[in-house]
Amino acid sequence: MEMPAQLYKLEKALVRMERKIDLILGSVGKRHRAKGVGEVKGAGALDIMTLLSLPDHLRKTALTLTKLGKAMAEDVAKETGRARAIESAYLNQLVRMEYVWRERVGKRVYFSVGENTGGEGL
Amino acid sequence: MTIREGNGMNPRTVLAVHSYKGGTGKTTISTNLAAILSRKGKNVCLIDLDLRAPSLDKTFGAKGRKFWINDFLHDRCEPGDIFFDVSKRKKLKGKLLVALANPSMEVIRESVASDRKQEMMALRRLLMLKDHLLKKLAMNYVILDTSPGLSYASINAVTAADIVLVVTTWDASDFAGAQGMVSELYSMLDKRAIVLMNKIPKQLLISEVAKMELTDQFATAFKLPVVDLLPCYCEVLSQERATIMALDRPKHPFSRSLVEIAMRIGGR
Repeated sequence: MEMPAQLYKLEKALVRMERKIDLILGSVGKRHRAKGVGEVKGAGALDIMTLLSLPDHLRKTALTLTKLGKAMAEDVAKETGRARAIESAYLNQLVRMEYVWRERVGKRVYFSVGENTGGEGL
Repeated sequence: MTIREGNGMNPRTVLAVHSYKGGTGKTTISTNLAAILSRKGKNVCLIDLDLRAPSLDKTFGAKGRKFWINDFLHDRCEPGDIFFDVSKRKKLKGKLLVALANPSMEVIRESVASDRKQEMMALRRLLMLKDHLLKKLAMNYVILDTSPGLSYASINAVTAADIVLVVTTWDASDFAGAQGMVSELYSMLDKRAIVLMNKIPKQLLISEVAKMELTDQFATAFKLPVVDLLPCYCEVLSQERATIMALDRPKHPFSRSLVEIAMRIGGR
């Protein structure tokens, strides 16, 4: 049948698009940080009081990342039951808010809380 | 509705015992529930997370303790360093591991003055400890005896818990505060909770019908299951901290009620 092959192609295209979006978000974030613009900035610590002050959708992502320590958007998505692309967007928002670190290792993007592992973020 | 039906209790569960005000009986209830479940053959871990007013040391003794839960939360030791097994001493069928909070004034001051980064680390360490206890040590239950109200330690404990047992009294401000915690804090953290009313004046519990009606009223007010209404037992209050009612006076109505609560929480 034609359909599975087309779906496979479509999936690959979507993965490529997600990676490009991640790259764009990363470079936009860098520019915004350089200009000092963007969302409300955190003071670095994602403690429980800060977590409680986050909007519901971000709190769920941030709590899951706190539990996992260091993870990819895919790992967070498995825990929250939401789509990988959604978690990727929320994690990048938390990076821009300076609560979360982001680090690229080859093709993979890792997010972490608490420690600077040499990536973008705080 | 039983708790098992209403909340789908897992055989491996972290239970935080929390209240709005102090003096509601959290520590007594935590200790007795832990002892009852362990006597039934379950492996239980009891942790004192009331870092500002520790009290489990009075029940289990702190002589010779080198490490405390405070040390683990601040990354100064490993999980194995903070627990000691009291099951032999208390003649229990299952394990009962206990981790104490350091009662020294200097450490309590340190806990009060800890900053946001330290509290973030404490939360991560607590979540790590949960995994270690349930997955590596195969504990059936972890009971977190928390500090009252909204402090870092208590909210961290609620965050780490699978279910929260809210202990509240007849006192109006305690009741209203507990309602606020349930409707705001627990819902923000997406936590399941159950309520235990403690120290209810005996004259309000004159018959089973009166007790059931009152239970329904509290359940409606909290929009949560109410596991029991315990009367105010002067003899429980006058016991020394070292006494674990369920073990030392198993036939006392307080002990019997807690056995029922433990069974409803999942110890059958």
